[in-house]
Amino acid sequence: MPDDPKAAARAASPDDDHARSKRDHLAISKLADDLLPALIAKLASSGLGEIEVREGGWRARLRKPAGGDARRVTARGAGEGHSGSGHGTGRPQPSRPARAGETAAEQEASPISATSPAVGIYHPRRDLSEGMRVRTGEKIGTVDVLGVNQDVLVPVDGVIGTSLAEAGEAVEYGQELVRIELTERSPLPAPMPLGQLEPAVARGNA
Amino acid sequence: MFNKILIANRGEIALRILRACRTLGVGAVVAYSEADRETLAAQLADEAICIGPADARRSYLSAPSVISAAIVTGCDAIHPGYGFLSEDEAFADVVRAHGLTFIGPPAEVLERFASKEATRRLLGSHGLATIPGSGMLRDEAHALEEAERVGYPVIIKPSAGGGGKGMRLVRTARELEDTFKVARSEAKAAFGDDALYLEKFIDDNRHVEVQVAVDRFGHAIHLGERDCSVQRRHQKIIEETPSPALSDAAREDLCQRAVRAVVAAGYENLGTLEFLVDSKGDAYFIEINCRIQVEHPITELCTGVDMVALQIKIAAGEPLGLSQSDIVSRGHAIEFRILAEDPTKDFRPQSGQISAYLAPGGAGVRMDSHLYPGYEVPSYYDSLLGKLCVWGPDRATAIARGEAALRELLVDGVTTNIELHRAILANKVFVDGRVTTNLLDRVGTAPFVAAASR
Repeated sequence: MPDDPKAAARAASPDDDHARSKRDHLAISKLADDLLPALIAKLASSGLGEIEVREGGWRARLRKPAGGDARRVTARGAGEGHSGSGHGTGRPQPSRPARAGETAAEQEASPISATSPAVGIYHPRRDLSEGMRVRTGEKIGTVDVLGVNQDVLVPVDGVIGTSLAEAGEAVEYGQELVRIELTERSPLPAPMPLGQLEPAVARGNA
Repeated sequence: MFNKILIANRGEIALRILRACRTLGVGAVVAYSEADRETLAAQLADEAICIGPADARRSYLSAPSVISAAIVTGCDAIHPGYGFLSEDEAFADVVRAHGLTFIGPPAEVLERFASKEATRRLLGSHGLATIPGSGMLRDEAHALEEAERVGYPVIIKPSAGGGGKGMRLVRTARELEDTFKVARSEAKAAFGDDALYLEKFIDDNRHVEVQVAVDRFGHAIHLGERDCSVQRRHQKIIEETPSPALSDAAREDLCQRAVRAVVAAGYENLGTLEFLVDSKGDAYFIEINCRIQVEHPITELCTGVDMVALQIKIAAGEPLGLSQSDIVSRGHAIEFRILAEDPTKDFRPQSGQISAYLAPGGAGVRMDSHLYPGYEVPSYYDSLLGKLCVWGPDRATAIARGEAALRELLVDGVTTNIELHRAILANKVFVDGRVTTNLLDRVGTAPFVAAASR
């Protein structure tokens, strides 16, 4: 039994400098988790060459390499469910965006999915079937949010794989709906490694 | 009573509402944003649902997302907590249109009390004294005219504002000319509404608020008052009840008048009437908050009433089940808002991972917090990490317990204002119960922080 529980609780805590750099690193990886996947999907599906976003005290700028796409960074964590515990089995199962620390190899091994753009009722496109070839930005279904449909878009060129949600099922924001398998013929020159994004993430004044 | 409630908020209040639901035997679903995936309420809940990205406009502030989440999870009511959509009458209206119940005042009641200026007139007509002030200011010339009439100094306020945001103190006509346009564009930027009004500024005032509860049948009680004079830039940081500023007779009179006025004005559900009390002890009504307040636990500690449960029951159409004689406020309670901000660096909000967390305990100590070791404080939302509340049979005991509990409380990984709280508790002005709302801003927090480190 330690004399001072505070000291004991602190024992594992890092020194100040280390803590600061860890905090910065965490903030960057947080930004990568929360913002970059959406940004990359937008960049991939648009004709834009560059996007810059300010969020809190941070700024992230993404530039599309010539002829490149964003395949690796849109990859979702393999088999990663919710890391919290105690959730009911009936709740929609969310996905998790790729973490900054994941290696390219890990991400390459991770399946890619089209995810839900909102919380609502999922309706896949009627003609959707496994093995169907799809292109980045293609609409493969909708999520009905109070009668307003929001499009489910394909994040990357590929082939429709397993369906992860049923037609008419309640889904949450970010939930994986349909796996997208990459094919040999998917054009994947110069994928954008996430590591390259870090230097472009600059701290603002806020 | 409801079957299942969607909790459309985050942090400590989501957890607090979850606890109330469990006490009532009502199911609960925690709605969270992507940034709050690991938050304690989402982890403890039987059900949780992600409603959108970190950006609150697309999650906690998105009415379609929140309502859709309630429908797909089979909820019959939505608890908005505080902030976000909690006082949004349009949201309350749409919730009702979808066959759900908004836990708070009905939409038409929220609408009646939406404008601060109109509310002052309304409750003023029902017997509450109000600060001399203007109506909506048409332009700069009108502002100058009105300021002249009520007398400088005046404070310029956005009509749609809250939490002290966008207020400007003006001591001369010259200052008013310099400030008016800026205040207007600030209000527009912050609240989407550039309507301004002005009030006579009462120097050295205290902030005292009365808690009321009114059921659908017009039965009403008050649950005493809270003193929220310890503020920094109009943001409350310490609250206590009862107020050291009021005598028992003045307290009883103020609370009675507040209840009579809200009943006459047709209010429903929990409400908090905020007053400025001047150096002579006169109380002026300033605004009503139509929601659960951050500082509700100190009222709970003294009265024993579960305020969130009461709020849910009223929204479910149940009678209060309490009369004024049932409400006996015992002892003294103090709340310390534990914030992730750095007092030595202009109170800049902090984010990061909590490396160690230890909540204090002991007689009369309550900690409402969503922290745990390893939790990552997101940078997207407010900096409230938790509320340390202490109760004692008298004020001196409450202060002593507060000091002991603050000493015990450990939050590592982000910079907090814990030491500032200890410094304020050790300050003679606080101990004597003489803190006014401008104290911290006038003397600055540096002397408090310096004193604390000695």
